[in-house]
Amino acid sequence: MALWRFLTSLKTCAWAGLVFCVAGAAGSVAMGRFPELFADMDAQVFAGWFARKGLVDPAPTLWLYGLLSCTGLLVVNAACCTFERLVQIFRGTVTMRRLLPHVMHLAFLGVVLSHLVSAVYGDRIPGVAIPQGGFAPVGGTGWVMRLDRFDAVMAPEGYPKDFSATVTLFRDRTPVARGVVRTNEPLFHEGYGIYIKNFGTSPWGAPYAVFDANRDPGATAILVASLLFSAANLLYLFPARRNDA
Amino acid sequence: MEDAHLILFWLSLAAYGAEAGFRLAGVAPSSPRRSPLFAGVLLHAAFLGIRWVLSGHAPMAGLFESLTVFSFCCAVAGLLLCRSEETSMAWKPLSVLVLLPQAGAALIDKRLTPLYPALDTPWFATHVGLSFLGYGFFAAGLALGIVYLRSGGEAAYRAAGKSALYGFSAFSAGMVCGGIWAYYAWGSYWIWTPKEIWSVIVWIYFATLTHLKFIPAQGGWPGWTKRLEMGATAAGYGVVLLTFLGVSLLLRSSHSF
Repeated sequence: MALWRFLTSLKTCAWAGLVFCVAGAAGSVAMGRFPELFADMDAQVFAGWFARKGLVDPAPTLWLYGLLSCTGLLVVNAACCTFERLVQIFRGTVTMRRLLPHVMHLAFLGVVLSHLVSAVYGDRIPGVAIPQGGFAPVGGTGWVMRLDRFDAVMAPEGYPKDFSATVTLFRDRTPVARGVVRTNEPLFHEGYGIYIKNFGTSPWGAPYAVFDANRDPGATAILVASLLFSAANLLYLFPARRNDA
Repeated sequence: MEDAHLILFWLSLAAYGAEAGFRLAGVAPSSPRRSPLFAGVLLHAAFLGIRWVLSGHAPMAGLFESLTVFSFCCAVAGLLLCRSEETSMAWKPLSVLVLLPQAGAALIDKRLTPLYPALDTPWFATHVGLSFLGYGFFAAGLALGIVYLRSGGEAAYRAAGKSALYGFSAFSAGMVCGGIWAYYAWGSYWIWTPKEIWSVIVWIYFATLTHLKFIPAQGGWPGWTKRLEMGATAAGYGVVLLTFLGVSLLLRSSHSF
């Protein structure tokens, strides 16, 4: 019973939130002080990085343990709070006004759990460099990518105004996808997004482009949960709906 | 025209300066709509609108535009929340909070700059605009929190609560837009940089803050009183400043201006 009171308590939420903020602040400093440890955090999914570095050198990553513990506690706290209140609400009169905060709780749970899926089952394939007309394998996907054409529009000041790459993906010498990749416009195929990250000119004068291929299986669920959260949040702002939670 | 639109910037700065001067001298206008600050907001809106047209993108790129939009959002949030006689005392600190970023912007290069390709998307204006609107409400929360801590009053307490809730709502929506943008631009809705971590800190901080009012006050430390809640509302502005300026100036982050 004491454990249930702890898990449903708003004070637990308050303290977990505070510790989360302190741990995050410490982490933002630690990331700059230990670049050899944290610089490649985005080069692979979080679970892979954490298994490789988070468990080997625990001292500089202590903040991450705090961050993850507090996130876990906030998730359980929100879930228990919502479970407890939903039972009360459905025994009484169900109104949208009373449900909205718990819709936000459930959306928060959806975001965290979907992110967990991406952090474990996602994939990161950084730095696929291909000269124009050339081919390169795309990590362990079994695809080979060809850079058909690269175009860049440069401003007189020397920075790129726009750049795009026409690419074709092959599997077993058969084209499976073709499209134009530019900044903010990736090419999606079988759950992977192909992103153009950089470009340049090779020593023999041919343009080349560098791509990342990422897969985030939880991304769609995160988007849905985030939109649900925003919608409930917006409705909650109406004065009549804000009196109890 | 490129230089002429800056006249509106300087006029709005003068109006904000006059408002802060009057407020600090103890002179208050009869209503917010008859204040120099209201005139400043109109001039400021015209400045931002013309700059948007001239540059072809939302005027939120770079430190100058970020600071001036921050100032504008603080003023707008104040006008929305501090309209009653009871909350008008908040204008004394708030007028300074509106003036400082605008004065800081006055010291920075104001030339129109084109957007980098990654910023050339509607998500840029929605993400940055909503985030700054949230920052504006959090600034109003600092002013209202100070008023409550010094003088009490249920109106200041309620308005400060609204500042946290409205700010949290705008900031949350801004984060959703930022996540969608990041997914299309960088290949992931989340990357591990100090800026992202501090953004989540702001979100968690104000999410927690909006729950504090539901904890019954009790004896002992920390008491969970309204004063604690108002102190946390005021302190939230420090967290916002660290996220907006501190991370960019003190920590290395790829997500910066």
